[in-house]
Amino acid sequence: MKRFGFVDVTLRDAHQCLWGTRMTTAMMTPILEEIDRCGYDTINILGGAVFDVCVRYLHEDPFARVKLLCERLRTPTDALTRGQSLYTFELFPDDVVELNAKVLAKLGVKVFTVYDALNDNRNLESSIKAGREAGMKINGWLTYTLSPVHTDAYYVARAKELVNLKSDILCIKDPTGLLTPECGRTLFPAVVRAAGRTPVQLHSHCQSGLAPEVYQVAIESGFAHGYTASEPLANGASLPATEEIAARAERLGFKTGMNRKALQRVADYFRWLCVREDKPAGVPAKYDPALYQHQIPGGMISNLRYQLQTMKIEHRLPEILEEAARVRKDLGYPIAVSPFAQYIVTQAVLNVVQGERYKTIPDEVRKYAAGYYGRLAAPLSGDFLDRIDLKEKDLVSNRPGENLKPWLPRLRRELPGAPDEELLLVAFYDRKLLAPLSKPQPHYSFRTTPLAELAGWLAQRRDIEYAHIRFAGTEMTFSS
Amino acid sequence: MASRELSYQDLLKIAEAIRTASHFSEFRLKVGDIEVNVRRANGAQAGSHAPVEAKAAPEQRVLATTGIPADAPAVRAPMVGTFYRASAPDAPPFVEAGSKVEPGTVVGIIEVMKLMNQVEAGLSGVVKEVLVGNAQSVERGQPLMLIDPV
Repeated sequence: MKRFGFVDVTLRDAHQCLWGTRMTTAMMTPILEEIDRCGYDTINILGGAVFDVCVRYLHEDPFARVKLLCERLRTPTDALTRGQSLYTFELFPDDVVELNAKVLAKLGVKVFTVYDALNDNRNLESSIKAGREAGMKINGWLTYTLSPVHTDAYYVARAKELVNLKSDILCIKDPTGLLTPECGRTLFPAVVRAAGRTPVQLHSHCQSGLAPEVYQVAIESGFAHGYTASEPLANGASLPATEEIAARAERLGFKTGMNRKALQRVADYFRWLCVREDKPAGVPAKYDPALYQHQIPGGMISNLRYQLQTMKIEHRLPEILEEAARVRKDLGYPIAVSPFAQYIVTQAVLNVVQGERYKTIPDEVRKYAAGYYGRLAAPLSGDFLDRIDLKEKDLVSNRPGENLKPWLPRLRRELPGAPDEELLLVAFYDRKLLAPLSKPQPHYSFRTTPLAELAGWLAQRRDIEYAHIRFAGTEMTFSS
Repeated sequence: MASRELSYQDLLKIAEAIRTASHFSEFRLKVGDIEVNVRRANGAQAGSHAPVEAKAAPEQRVLATTGIPADAPAVRAPMVGTFYRASAPDAPPFVEAGSKVEPGTVVGIIEVMKLMNQVEAGLSGVVKEVLVGNAQSVERGQPLMLIDPV
């Protein structure tokens, strides 16, 4: 019997999409044992936003979280980085990229997942090499978008590059949920063929409401795995629910090995966590045709609307979104994810407000156009080239990581004897931001019950001084 | 009656009952085989450590995290993000307690997805108190500073 497997994203992308990445380690630990019983092939625990939010907002050491989750989970764990940019949007030299892979492997990460927002796979070379040397499996992602140049043939070519780089797994990542079943029916079999023996995975978001159908096409096309989340943290801007995709796979005659009872217990816990933490659960999104036009993520549009409001030009939003589509074309169709989505929007605002295209070109856009971040998907338009006036000496054509001098010798000099984790954190962040991370770890509980949750919840509510609960022959009194 | 363990479904029902009855000082509720009996801190014993939120009607509720009445004259965060009090790390803050503000006065910056958004006061008055520290993350609607309106 054919098999379709699952990669869990509940501890990473699901709360990134629905809770602003604010799930703490303490919220995860009580349910890890149950997640382990679900039957996932891999559990994704780290990505760029999780790393960054841990440091900036949760004041948790992200490496300590990785270590603890790897120790506690028997299921192999997966960590995701943005290739040469690791957890940020800047480029890092090869020595920092290599050390990061080494540290993750040492902490217990088994699958090392890498992607580049430009799909310039040269930006994955040093990660893949270092990750493999450190003993991790390599999962190379292709970032999906819609444009005249992002054709099936384009993705087949990128998939072959990843196979040549000896990726153990390939994955199509659709960050804004743009895939449709129609696109999948041609793209998926083509990528599976190009991958040969390398298993292919799907990682798609639910903004358009079509993702579960798209997953079904992937299952039918011979994909090996799908990334999914526990039902309360699935859908909306998140990924599809494990429960739903497993049911679809089983109906198509695939074995999934997923444990329904364990999935149910995990879902129960997270449904309660939404209430306890006053965070939203995922709601299936309605089909939204506007998503396909400008492709600017929803979060960024609401942000832009506010900025325009303060400039008193909110009424020009439709014009700016239309201009954004034009700018994207002029810039060679960058994928509308951070940081390139910001570049597109900023340039579009400048063009509209100044009433003249490319009168001002921000430095970041100039660097992007010169190839500093990597190879562009399509040539820059003539109109744009006329205005930007790029000099030959500004152009970058080699692998971006090659242009950066090693950092570690300097960091090791400044922090003699510091552990590798600390060297990396100092490479990524201003030291002031790192001070709160050295606070002692809280006491984590690795098990909980509804009764314990109830007691804890009532105790935290200062407005309640007395509660008496009676159920099924049991009585409880909470009193302050 | 066969005893059973409390389930998460039971817990959700209990929490829902307690939350929807937040404006009562005392209530009893029976859902299926679960009975809930709750008394709030300002119930019979007035003058105890009663927090304001228990008595107030829902629309006047106090934001639990800040203790600021929801209708207090204040500049509120227009979006989720990181609040900055100055235009650069070494620049002086846009405003301090005692500063006069007009609706269009810039009182801070909120950074979200690496984009900087100026926050305007939105009302005239004098800054009474700045509630949020520099580089602190803020939720949408969170009061950033209290204003004495003029």
